[in-house]
Amino acid sequence: MFDSPAADPALPNRFAPVRAAAPLVRFFARRIGLSVLTLLGLVTLAFAMTKFIPGDEAQVAAGPDAGPDQVEAMRARLGLDAPAIVQYLRFIWRLLHGDLGTSIVTYQPVLRDLERVLPSTLELVAITMVLNLVIAIPVATIAAAQGGRGLDALTRIAAAIAAGLPVFWVALMLQFLLGTLARVLPISGQRGFGVTVPNWTGMRTLDALLSGNPSAFLDASLYLVLPAATLALHFSSQLFRALRASLELAAASDFIAPVKAKGASTARILWRHALPNALPPVITLAGTQIADMLGAAVLVEAVFARQGVGAYLANAVAQKDTFAVIGTVLFVGAMVCVVNLLVDAILLATDPRLRAAELARGGRQ
Amino acid sequence: MMARPHLSLGDATVFVLVALILAAAVFGNLLAPEATFSSDIGNAFLPPDAQHWLGTDSQGRDVLWRVIAGAAPSLLSSMLVVTIYSLIGVVVATLATVVPRWLDEGLMRGTEIGLALPGVIVAMGFASAMGPSLASAVIAMSITGWPITARLLRSITRQTMVAPYVQGAQVMGVSRFRLMTRHVLPNSLDVLIIKWSGDVSITILVLGGLSFVGVGAQPPSAEWGAMISDARSYVSTAWWTAAAPGAAIALTAVSFSLLGDILQRRLGGAGASGGARS
Amino acid sequence: MKPLLEVRALTIDVPKGEGWMRVVDGVDFSIGAGERVALVGESGSGKSMTARALMRLDDALRIGGAIRFAGEEVLGCTEAEMRALRGSGIGMVFQDPMASLDPFMRVGDQVAEVLRIRGVGRAEAHARAVAILAELGVRDAASRSGAYPHEFSGGMRQRVVLAMALVAGPKLLVADEPTTALDARIQQQVLDLIDDAAADRGLGVLLITHNLGIVAGFADRVLVMYSGRIVEEGPVEQIFAAPAHPYTRGLIAAVPRADMRVDRLPPIDGAPPSPARRPSGCAFHPRCPVRLPVCVMTAPQLRPSGGGSVACHLAAAEEAMA
Repeated sequence: MFDSPAADPALPNRFAPVRAAAPLVRFFARRIGLSVLTLLGLVTLAFAMTKFIPGDEAQVAAGPDAGPDQVEAMRARLGLDAPAIVQYLRFIWRLLHGDLGTSIVTYQPVLRDLERVLPSTLELVAITMVLNLVIAIPVATIAAAQGGRGLDALTRIAAAIAAGLPVFWVALMLQFLLGTLARVLPISGQRGFGVTVPNWTGMRTLDALLSGNPSAFLDASLYLVLPAATLALHFSSQLFRALRASLELAAASDFIAPVKAKGASTARILWRHALPNALPPVITLAGTQIADMLGAAVLVEAVFARQGVGAYLANAVAQKDTFAVIGTVLFVGAMVCVVNLLVDAILLATDPRLRAAELARGGRQ
Repeated sequence: MMARPHLSLGDATVFVLVALILAAAVFGNLLAPEATFSSDIGNAFLPPDAQHWLGTDSQGRDVLWRVIAGAAPSLLSSMLVVTIYSLIGVVVATLATVVPRWLDEGLMRGTEIGLALPGVIVAMGFASAMGPSLASAVIAMSITGWPITARLLRSITRQTMVAPYVQGAQVMGVSRFRLMTRHVLPNSLDVLIIKWSGDVSITILVLGGLSFVGVGAQPPSAEWGAMISDARSYVSTAWWTAAAPGAAIALTAVSFSLLGDILQRRLGGAGASGGARS
Repeated sequence: MKPLLEVRALTIDVPKGEGWMRVVDGVDFSIGAGERVALVGESGSGKSMTARALMRLDDALRIGGAIRFAGEEVLGCTEAEMRALRGSGIGMVFQDPMASLDPFMRVGDQVAEVLRIRGVGRAEAHARAVAILAELGVRDAASRSGAYPHEFSGGMRQRVVLAMALVAGPKLLVADEPTTALDARIQQQVLDLIDDAAADRGLGVLLITHNLGIVAGFADRVLVMYSGRIVEEGPVEQIFAAPAHPYTRGLIAAVPRADMRVDRLPPIDGAPPSPARRPSGCAFHPRCPVRLPVCVMTAPQLRPSGGGSVACHLAAAEEAMA
């Protein structure tokens, strides 16, 4: 904390890149370990869910018309006659081999089904996240420059209201207003009649771009406008509120007056100094928003009749397709874990204090 | 910010709104005419007029009265969900504070599983297991909602357990459990109340969404999400049947969210807004 | 010759509830080119407010009177003119070096930013930043300028803050309690550094401090502030040799000296008044050991005394009798 003749020269060497690599590896090893633990908990939860479901799995799998003999045969085939712990270990073993079970509706492995429906949802969530950041960050920063007046007061009220609008209702109303009344945008499905693109990534906009088909790209984009706008309205208003509060804290920090004393303009103070300091908690929030976006995408996909995870899950729930439901929940949970790792990496890359704390921690252990 | 003793116009508006919505939730079912719950196909899809301010729905029922009657299943069940999981959160945070450190770590890791999951998707899973109904949606959300509350409380107790007066009491031989229930938790009450209000706002959106996709309240319930779900097929011809319950959800969600903001300002729970999920 | 800085009848009000609260009430002083002036007082006396008002750092304050810097009226400046003045007219060093640097920006960039704002190219700004950091005693300035503030000790950070204040070549340096937050062993180092840098550049300096002990070897002139007003002003030798105001005498008695045991400090009894409840008459009267009946009723005016001036009924009476 204080100057001492011995301490100062030692400082620069501690942060030499060569020695910094080891603590970074340790940091990510620890985080990945935690993610694996989280996933294991998730799997256990999912397994417990299959056990607590009322009704006989073997009966469900064999079909409602099956006789007792067929049900017993199915029970043996599914391994449901083994002790619970054995079933649990087998469940994990299958998961490790990418086997999420077989859907009783599509008769396909759940993983194969997810490969089919996931890209469309990911495309929607990815575009929503981009819009989310591109809207919330500049608007919050520009609003902060007004300090409670004009645009700031207006956006605060607008965001408070927008965050309280149910997404599925906004979707429905947009569909009605812009699709039915004004007829300016496609309101249902994800592609125009006869528009085809190769199925490389499963994301239609990306596939259209990769295959050099601008009209198909425009088509796919137009179908994304309403769903993405609906989701972005909700999530960006949430992110805006968090960033606005965080900016207020940052702008009240002691280092702001010295920046002003340099002759910096209000805009410079906000964008170059307050914003970087205000961002870390907001990045964390954006990471947790991904999980909620996947949940909200389920609702929005239902309204706009997009074939994605939402429609698949809703259908699976309606048909009591247990493995499909659990497989989807597990897969989404795994994705969220990966996103959390990514958020940790971004925070570490952007926050020098966090980096220093992690390095020091690695050094002590 | 300093606590403001005066009631501003904005704050008063929010209080009045919340009071009106609560009144609708408690008395709506008693006041609503019989016809709110029975069908009269001859009067279906009447647009808003002097007699039916918000028109009638596919069954010829008055939409305004159904929205008022829907406050009970929509709002009270959301309040129930948040109350249950807040209590679970309190229990978990208390346990984490009084048990040995390794168990504390384990509990907090457990909450991370909850944080990694989208509430809507998990609730859909639970609802599929238990059969779709408002009760299963309420149960599903109650048992999946607590991790954030638990983590928030744990972070507060971690700070208050090292406060001088608490440490002093510990030196006097007061048990950690007693300290927790007598000193630390009462001090966290403000934060809990603020969070409760904000969470009701979020829960009512999610619960409506679950009913909308068919895993929550089922028709003919006047629950707002179920009403929108029912109205979905007729939006292009009878927009009011979908617009009204959605506006009710929005009004309620915004009112409770603003109530949370006001409570935060007045009670000054510093820890409640920032870093709640981190 | 016109002084570098001239402050006349300065008043500062802070917003309080529906109205305003006066924290600085009619302060006059001036600083010549190259002159060192110390503004001394306890916390809450309004001295930091005065310093910040010179650069109009706080938008929420209401500032009255006149502040003339290099012939220009600061209070009449537009926001753009203020930005030009901050940094290249007046540089400022803040109290807590741990808190006065942006934790997210490399220190070299923070120093260079002062020049970048003024249109200096990236490479040149960086080179000048490194040069001034080296001049101010940051070892390995070229590589250390790429480090973040948390990688610096308190004393080193204050050097960075000083570099920020000086790099654009101001004519006046305002140092607001520059050593208070520092370890005792570092205080003198930093003070010497400011001393040398100001001497090399011929800077006027306004040193804000509560500690008269660091003033003696540094300042040419001393202003003593109490409860929003200047109560005594004079050359440094006179203030120390013959303090006229009882408050100044109390401050001098509170200076820890090598030949005194620390626990023998005779502090001034009581605490400075809050601006909200300023006593009637002379604001110092409730704590004054030599209070006269008149002190409770009317506030004394600042009047010439010896080489300086003092605002004290007793001092005025003694002078009249002499």
